[in-house]
Formats: sequence, C-alpha cells, structure tokens
Amino acid sequence: MSRSELDIGLKVLDHQLLDKNGRRCGNVDDLAIEGGPGEVPRVVALLVGPGYWGQRAGWIGRLAGWIGSGSKVRVEWSEVTKIDSAVHLRNDATKLGLGRGDDRLRPYVEKIPGAGR
Amino acid sequence: MNKIFGLALGILAAIGGFVDIGDLVFNTAAGATFGYQLMWVIPIGVVGIIVYSEMCGRVAAVSGKAVFDAVRERVGFKAALGALVSSEVVNLMTLAAELGGVAITLQLLSGLPYRWLILFAVVGFAVIIWVTSFNWLERGFGYGGLCMLVFAVAAVKLGPDWTKVGKGFIPHITQNNPTLYAYFVIGLLGAAMTPYEVYFYSSGGVEEGWKPKDIGLNRANAIVGYLLGGTLSLALMIVGATVFLGHGIAPQHLGTIALGVGDPLGKIGLLLAIVGILFAVGGASIDTVFSGAYNLAQFCGWEWGRYRHPKGAPRFAVTWLVLLVLAMGIVMTGVDAVVLTEYAVIFSVVALPLTYVPILLVANDKAYMGRYGNGRLANGLGLVYLVLIMVVALTAIPLMVLTNAGQN
Repeated sequence: MSRSELDIGLKVLDHQLLDKNGRRCGNVDDLAIEGGPGEVPRVVALLVGPGYWGQRAGWIGRLAGWIGSGSKVRVEWSEVTKIDSAVHLRNDATKLGLGRGDDRLRPYVEKIPGAGR
Repeated sequence: MNKIFGLALGILAAIGGFVDIGDLVFNTAAGATFGYQLMWVIPIGVVGIIVYSEMCGRVAAVSGKAVFDAVRERVGFKAALGALVSSEVVNLMTLAAELGGVAITLQLLSGLPYRWLILFAVVGFAVIIWVTSFNWLERGFGYGGLCMLVFAVAAVKLGPDWTKVGKGFIPHITQNNPTLYAYFVIGLLGAAMTPYEVYFYSSGGVEEGWKPKDIGLNRANAIVGYLLGGTLSLALMIVGATVFLGHGIAPQHLGTIALGVGDPLGKIGLLLAIVGILFAVGGASIDTVFSGAYNLAQFCGWEWGRYRHPKGAPRFAVTWLVLLVLAMGIVMTGVDAVVLTEYAVIFSVVALPLTYVPILLVANDKAYMGRYGNGRLANGLGLVYLVLIMVVALTAIPLMVLTNAGQN
C-alpha cells in the first residue's frame, strides 16, 4: 500500500458503511494501521462499533461507547469494494457481524402491527 | 404532478418547521413589545434558512448524505459527539415545547384536562407515525398547517399603518432598551434558522429519494416553502403589534396568539387559527422527533428513515418512540410550553455553527458534488451567514441572562 493508499484509508474514517444490499451497517469508527518504524504504514482493517469510541475521544468517548453497548467489529480492508460518499462492502452485514443491534431488535419490533408498512 | 406533490416537502418544512411554536412565540412577542421595529430581522432569517436548506438538500440529492453524516465526517469525532449531544438536548426541549403546544390547542378545542391531552397527543403521534408513510405525513400536516394563512388575512384586515410597517424593514430602535431589542433579534434569527429544520430537510430529501435531477425541485421547495413561512412570520408580528402593543398584553399563551385573529375575523377565524396552530406545532413535533432519531442513527451509522419501515430500521423506530416518551415526561411536569420554547430557541442558536459549518464544507467538496458543488452565490451568502451565526451564537446566552429571558 503506497502513501496515496493510506490517504484513501484515512479518507474513509467516519464514513457510512453499506453492505452488498445497500443496508446501512455502521460507520468507520477507527482504522487498524500496521507498519513499524521505517516501513510504509498500511490500513489493514476498518474498526466498527462504539467500543472503539474511547480511542477517538478519551473518557467522553468511552462513556458514550459504554452507553452504546461497547460492541467491536473488525472488517478486513479486502472487504471494501468501492468508496464514494459511503464505503461499500462485499458481503452482507449479518455475515460480517455488523448491524447486530438492528437484528436483535427486529423480532420485537415486528410483533407490533404495521411494522412493515 | 409529482413535482407539485414534491413541493409539499417545502411547505411542511415551512409551516411545521419554520412556523413552529418558536416563531409563534417570538414573532408575536416581538410585535407586542416593539411594534414593527423588528420586521427587518425576518427577511434576514428567511434568506439564511433558504441558503442552508438549499445547500443541504442539494448534498442529499447528489450524495445521499444527510446533515449528521456530514457533521461526523467533517468536524471530527469529538466535535461531532459534542454536536450530537447538544442537538439531542435542544431537539428534546423543542419537541417537548411543541407537544405542549399541541396539548394547549387541543384543550382550546375540547376543554379536556391538559395532561390527558398530552398523553392523547403522544399516543396519537406514535400511532400516526407508525402507520403513515413519510409522504402522507408531510402532506397531511403541511396542508393542514395552511390554515395558518388566516393570520395573513387578519394582518391585512386589521388595517395596520403600512408606512410604519415599511419602515420596520429598515433597522432602527425607537425604544430605550437596546439589550432587550438585541435579545429579540437573536431570538427571531434563532427561531427562523433552528438547526432541526436542516436536519429534517436534508434527511427528508433522502426519504423522498431525491436524485441529482431533483435539484430544481429542491431549490423550489426551499424558496417557496420558506418564503411562505417568512410571510406568515411577518403576519404574526403585524398581528402582535396591532392587537397587543399598547394594551400591555404579553401573548404568553398560545390561545392569546390565536385571539389576535379572533379580533378582526370572528369565531371562524379564531377556529381556523387554532386548527392551523395545531397542525403547525403538530408538524413541528414530527420534524423534531424525526430529527432526533435521524441524528443519532446517522452518527452511529444505523439504518434510518421512515421509508425503511420500522421493520427495516428497528433502532431508528425505537429511538423516535423513546424520544416521544421522554418529551412527554418533560411536558407532564407542567413546565410552561412558551417558556420552554424560549429556552429551546436560545440554546439552539448556540448549537448552530456546528450544524452549518459542515454543510458548507460538504457542499464545496468537488469529490462528492462534482458539478453540483456550491457556486459563487451560495458560497458568498453561506460565508456571510456563517459570520452572522457565529456572532449570534456567542451573544445568545449573555443576552438571555442580561434580559432575564426577555422579561425586562
């Protein structure tokens, strides 16, 4: 990964993730960057979930992340198929472990009449 | 035909978003306190909200991004978290004030106890939002809110001194309380440019499935909708000035504001005014509750939107339900809806820059916007208003303290 590729990696920070069906399934909350001294740093994965907010905003981020359940999901960079105003992923959200909050609530919400209207 | 229906978004944003409880309170009170002296503030506020709504509507049409997506991308995580918390607090206060307004108008119509009507209104909204599509929500409340036009008829029928009204468009003070005057200027601007209007407007564009071809429709919506809203604001101020100024009446109750119409137009006029206020504050309740849910969902990256149905966006649906219940809790304490409105408007002014800066930045990003990026006019006006918003945001709280929230 060259310097410009790292720039692309940094550009996706805080962007919307869309799975292969166009479902919104989280934001890019942080990046996993590898590379030691003297090496060219590379973005190897997208880090998704409130559990990573502490790394972004100290104790306020940790508090907000704790309120938001603190989940952490790692999405490999190879999952990314396209970057425009959102980051598009190769697989569907459930398979990647994304959007679990919605999946967990859905059975309850579905029981209320008119939930599909 | 679709284009005509499409205009409904602008009209709802205008009646429900522009003319909401904040405008009703501040415009009528400004008229009752300063006569026509503050008329000039209204066009300034209207142009500001047109400029920024057009911009964020265009961003939504071209990139599918709503305001809070842009906030998080452009100001960084920490500032965005701050913007989220402050916008949620202000939204909740505004929602509570609007719900209080709904309950007051229902009480004027039915005579039933206030707290039962709050409960009735909240349950009613939950059911209506749950079963009604976005398009029908906006059309229903938008067109119902058109009853508010009775205020324009009343303003003309009251026969104000039009020369004096005209002079009101030139900034001047004839009263010796410049601090109170400045407080009202801030309040009127804040009520005209409330942040939830752009949250709702941009997310509404995504709900409606706007594409780049709808940019003309977006522009027409913003201009027609807010000009109509601005006309109503002027009418409210004229009614306030003509009916209340000099009689020592401060319109501190929504019913008093409606009475301003009853004077020249009789019982039918009064009824139309109350129904119009009901739809306007009802529409604004929906705008604010959705704005709260849009912002949280966009910050977290959840699926969102009424167009996804509750089943497709469960966390979004649960969020607006929870916000309705929280707002109900606030109004149930018996806090005065009009006082709550004033605080909500003034606090929202402080949060304005964090909302408007990211919109301006994204609308200039050629990578997303391509040839639809801001032109010179949008950027010029955008920058002028940004400076104005900064000044307003910095002076709002000090003025509120100095004037004891407009009491002296």
